[in-house]
Amino acid sequence: MTPINISLLLFMIGLYGVISKNNLIKKIIGLAIINASVVLFFIAIGYREGGLAPIMSRSEAVDSANQIFVNPIPQALMLTAIVVSISLTAVALALVVKIYSKYKTLDVQKLYEE
Amino acid sequence: MLNHLPILIIIFPLSIAFIILLFKKYIIALSTFSILFSLASLLKFAPSVYKGQIISYHLGGWPAPLGISLLIDSLSFFFALTVLLIGMMVIIYSIPDKKYNHNYYFLLLILLSSMVGTIFTADIFNMYILYDLVAIATYLLIAYYQHGVALKASFNYLLMSAVGLSLFLLGVGSLYAMSGTLHIASISEQLPEIFAHNPQIIIMSLVLVITSMGIKMAMVPLHGWLPDAHSLAPSPVSAILSGVVVKVGLYCLIRLIFGLFSTEKILVNIASHYILMVFGAITLLFGAMMALTQTDLKRMLAYSTINQIGLILIGLGFNIYSGFEGALFHVLNHALLKSALFFCAGIIIKTGSKKIKELAGFGKKNPVVAFCFVILSLGIIGIPPMNGFVSKFLICLAAIEAGYSILALVIIFASLITAAYYFRVIQIFYSEPIQPNSNLPNIDVAENSLFWDKYFRLWPIYILTGFSLMLGILPSLGLLLIRPAVKILLLNIIK
Repeated sequence: MTPINISLLLFMIGLYGVISKNNLIKKIIGLAIINASVVLFFIAIGYREGGLAPIMSRSEAVDSANQIFVNPIPQALMLTAIVVSISLTAVALALVVKIYSKYKTLDVQKLYEE
Repeated sequence: MLNHLPILIIIFPLSIAFIILLFKKYIIALSTFSILFSLASLLKFAPSVYKGQIISYHLGGWPAPLGISLLIDSLSFFFALTVLLIGMMVIIYSIPDKKYNHNYYFLLLILLSSMVGTIFTADIFNMYILYDLVAIATYLLIAYYQHGVALKASFNYLLMSAVGLSLFLLGVGSLYAMSGTLHIASISEQLPEIFAHNPQIIIMSLVLVITSMGIKMAMVPLHGWLPDAHSLAPSPVSAILSGVVVKVGLYCLIRLIFGLFSTEKILVNIASHYILMVFGAITLLFGAMMALTQTDLKRMLAYSTINQIGLILIGLGFNIYSGFEGALFHVLNHALLKSALFFCAGIIIKTGSKKIKELAGFGKKNPVVAFCFVILSLGIIGIPPMNGFVSKFLICLAAIEAGYSILALVIIFASLITAAYYFRVIQIFYSEPIQPNSNLPNIDVAENSLFWDKYFRLWPIYILTGFSLMLGILPSLGLLLIRPAVKILLLNIIK
């Protein structure tokens, strides 16, 4: 099982959580799993077998001409995506706090009965 | 300074937003000024854009495939102009309401600037980031009054659109894995070669992009968030949501399908335009049917948005010149008409109830707003002196030209349903109220507040109505704006 397959499996687990759980907090956990799976997907794209972290060094210990490096761009992209997903989670939790203070419940079924 | 104008259009309102949040002074003046600045600097590009030049700006001086770049061509110019114009009107409309404090203008400016950023960017990952910024500002604006129902609607939208954006990011990832770049034009160049080796990945990313943008612009099986979110938001926010936020999803779809995926062979194999056409027809009919059954005025307008989005999708699906022309013209027309209709609805709701049944006698109490509402709804239905007619006519012509006469019939049928639900509202406006006594005190209060709000609340409606009438009487003016954009779309299809 490659990391890419695992990330897609995680995506499906997250989607299942968002769709089928009744508790709003669990739905947000599902969203967080989805975002984490996308991060894993990107990191898996950039990974190379036996690659080093792509840091330029002037020392002789690392022979940068023959050494394999992992692709740094997906990692840089994922720093941004993690920030976005954190702020998304924060907004979602803020909304849930407000919903709870109005309705005193987090159950979707009860929320939509009202 | 002048070289950096493309990025200033985005950065200036964004930084003003934070200044407003920190200092809480001169809120309205600063936000108006920043949007006017963006509008003016955008218009400065108009002559060169309409000569057919493509202005690209590289952030930090790094050239295109390596660095982040912005791109202003006639398509993005047209969409950005629509966004900023409606945004300006929304700011003017929200001035008299004291409930809108610095937080509101902060979110509004972030929304507008990130929408312009989404439109200008030439890089799919930046498109994702900026679209997420649009989405976060939208969730908070929908829940601005913190009513229970609005909070629920906002949370519902958050769940759907966050999943949609993750799907989009997955699509971006698979495109990046195959091509090794994020720049739209560079991916598009490499696409035929990749498609020859593994077509599945390209099809998967196309499906992911269509699904995510379908959620964003409420294509029918994915529309669940729209009626709640658009009807429960504050009225100026509903206007900007229906008028332009939905159109930004449409822009991303157009940019990616016709700019990235539409190399000749791929279009033939995947036939993405059939997807647009079929889902467009479903969206059109479903939106019209559901709007017919609504009892709440703003909810009816929200379903009417779904209806018109379907029409635009059908126009894009034909893949011929007049279809694109009609679809893009309808984007502009719908933005003008629907945001003005939501402005009217904001005034109408203030005079009494949200229910359509209880609006009887509004036409006599407030003849000007009612008259504007009538004119605007004639535009949405598509009755000749208005701009909606021109774009619907162009799309119907394109349907016959492309050989799908049945779709022309579907469009006309949906227009009939549209006429049915708008005429119902208009008829109630001019009928006698059933119980005049119970409504009286309400209306008196409302008239008083209308007197004070008159200039700021009514002028946006007049301006937008005037624009739509002008585009209806002189459609060549609007088509002048749109034809260069259509050329950009056709550039990749016909080679």
